[in-house]
Amino acid sequence: MFHGSLSRIMGTRFDVLILGVEKEHSTNIWESFQQELEYLDHMLNRFDPNSEVSRINHEAGTKPVPVSQEMWEILQDCRNYYEKTFGLFDITLTDFLQVVFNEEEHAVQFLQPNLSFDFGGYAKGYAMKKLLNILKTNNVENSFVDFGQSAIFALGHHPYGDTWKVSIENPFQKGQILEEIALRDSALSTSGNTPNYSGHIINPLNRRFNRERRLICVESDNPVDAEVLTTVLIAAEPHQKEKLLTQFDTKQILDFNL
Amino acid sequence: MSRKEEKQVDLSLRQFIKDLGGITGGAALLGTMPWLQSFTPDKLKEVAKEKSRIAIIGTGSRGQYHIHNMFSIQHAEIVALCDTYAPNLEAAAALVPTAKKYSDYRKVLELPEVDGVVIATPLNWHAPILLDALSAGKHVFCEKSMAYSMEECKQIYDTYQTSDRVVYFCMQRMFDEKYIKGIQMIQSGLIGDVVGARCYWYRNHDWRRPVPSPELERSINWRLYRESSGGLMTELATHQLEVCNWATKRIPKSVMGMGDIVFWKDGREVYDSVSLVYHYSNGVKINYESVISNKFNGMEDQILGHDGTMNLATGMYYLENENIGKSGIEQLLSQIGDKVFTAVPLAGASWRPETKKEYTPFPILADNFNVSDGISMIGAVNDGSDQMLSAFCQACITGEKGENIVEEAYSSTLLCLLGNQAMDEQRKIDFPEEYKIPYMKF
Repeated sequence: MFHGSLSRIMGTRFDVLILGVEKEHSTNIWESFQQELEYLDHMLNRFDPNSEVSRINHEAGTKPVPVSQEMWEILQDCRNYYEKTFGLFDITLTDFLQVVFNEEEHAVQFLQPNLSFDFGGYAKGYAMKKLLNILKTNNVENSFVDFGQSAIFALGHHPYGDTWKVSIENPFQKGQILEEIALRDSALSTSGNTPNYSGHIINPLNRRFNRERRLICVESDNPVDAEVLTTVLIAAEPHQKEKLLTQFDTKQILDFNL
Repeated sequence: MSRKEEKQVDLSLRQFIKDLGGITGGAALLGTMPWLQSFTPDKLKEVAKEKSRIAIIGTGSRGQYHIHNMFSIQHAEIVALCDTYAPNLEAAAALVPTAKKYSDYRKVLELPEVDGVVIATPLNWHAPILLDALSAGKHVFCEKSMAYSMEECKQIYDTYQTSDRVVYFCMQRMFDEKYIKGIQMIQSGLIGDVVGARCYWYRNHDWRRPVPSPELERSINWRLYRESSGGLMTELATHQLEVCNWATKRIPKSVMGMGDIVFWKDGREVYDSVSLVYHYSNGVKINYESVISNKFNGMEDQILGHDGTMNLATGMYYLENENIGKSGIEQLLSQIGDKVFTAVPLAGASWRPETKKEYTPFPILADNFNVSDGISMIGAVNDGSDQMLSAFCQACITGEKGENIVEEAYSSTLLCLLGNQAMDEQRKIDFPEEYKIPYMKF
């Protein structure tokens, strides 16, 4: 078994377990993982002043900014999620409609000067999807990928079980297990407020920060769907929630009021 | 005394200490804090029908603070008051009209009805009065610091060794619940190895008392003059250095420091700004700072451990790694190593990287407790002073000495005086051999 770990990447910690693969092979896979994660961090981290997103945030308020091919695809994907969630998933956190896309030049411009992109509710899911492709092209069948606990992908199964079993702890009550979930070939995203990190999720439609003692887990085949949905569901009003669920194909959704 | 309140002031601390003795490891803890052993509700019952008869020598602001505390100590009564400054004596007499009044402490020591004296005078008077009181057969409760000079401290310490009298110094943190519990947590390993200490006391105040007439300046503002005071070190730092030694169970072997009069250039002779480093033999250092022209940082006694930080003054602690024990992924790894398949706590809201603001404060005590902001120049409510005074008054009846109290006061006072010497001479000072006592471990 190979264990790779990065203590700080994309704003959190990263761990992967790779099973049933020769050491040399798993080391190569880990190299690709690191390259991919650093590459994405450099593209999507708005706290890094040299990242592509920082450049866009800095300049797009005044002029159209040409973006890389991958950034363009990511932005189109975010636009799809914006539409699919009736505006609840909004990487501008303000008004996605103020972003002008120039399809020919692959450039973006903000109609509102103080607009900016924040990939906080997206990047880990997107990275997970790419890492999964690396595992698949390397014929890895059993692996456990963990982005700081909030985004997990369980590929195949535990060496001594037929799934990967994880439990969800109540962040407000140490040691209290809320639920156990058996995962196999699926992503699990968790979002919510914790005692020392609250009010960080905003509903872009009513501009309200959510401060509820709430935890939401979404299990899905698609790690990006899982990531987007958890963030959106925390901020959504009850009537919006029902409507949202018709748009996504998920395995299960757990919603804890704590 | 009509003003005596119904309830004994220190019942909750006594109960706390009794309960501590009952929990696992509590007896061992009390073994390391032997001065608390007779501070129980049961002991209080034993002395309930008796009263220790106390004289207050020095009835300025601090002496009056003790008088107020004495009102809720049922096993004590104030029989005499003494001060050389008439307005202070009269103010105290207004509080305790039944007590006899004196301006010469030697007259007080001659009174057969006095069991014990409380000394709340300027620092330079501690040793003469204390030594005379012991010769007169009185028990003594004396304000910190122990005495004005190292020689006097040693003389008091030596005299105490052969005396059958009780001597307490008002190192009140030794009777403060949050300190007792916090030090217990440190010694039980909660914050791991102690790797450092940061103590500071910031105020923004000139530290002066109003003077009705210029010739009274030096006696009323005695804290500001070197003939009567060790300044910030003997008035403030002494408590905090005591806590560091208590937590580390050691005494620093050397000290360096700088002291200056930075802001209050009003004729005072003691520093208004001090920064010192006390060095323990294992390399651990106390960084001590006190400035009285800026109050932003307030007051804190902070013990740094490899696994956490104990802020004793505010009664909170912080852990370096809040997921004490193994993280989810580490549990999963060791589980696979043990060929076990069970759920591991791996799903949760995002783990956040370590930055200072992410620390969760945990209270040392579960219930409400008192926190002093360090601003009062007289004494804070419920900071342990009243409890300690109650313990002393109890000891005046039982004759039981308060273990370690004299030794702790001696050690911390010596450190303050050595700190002053280091600042005055601008050099590193090693703890002098002739002032070491068997109690000290370096």
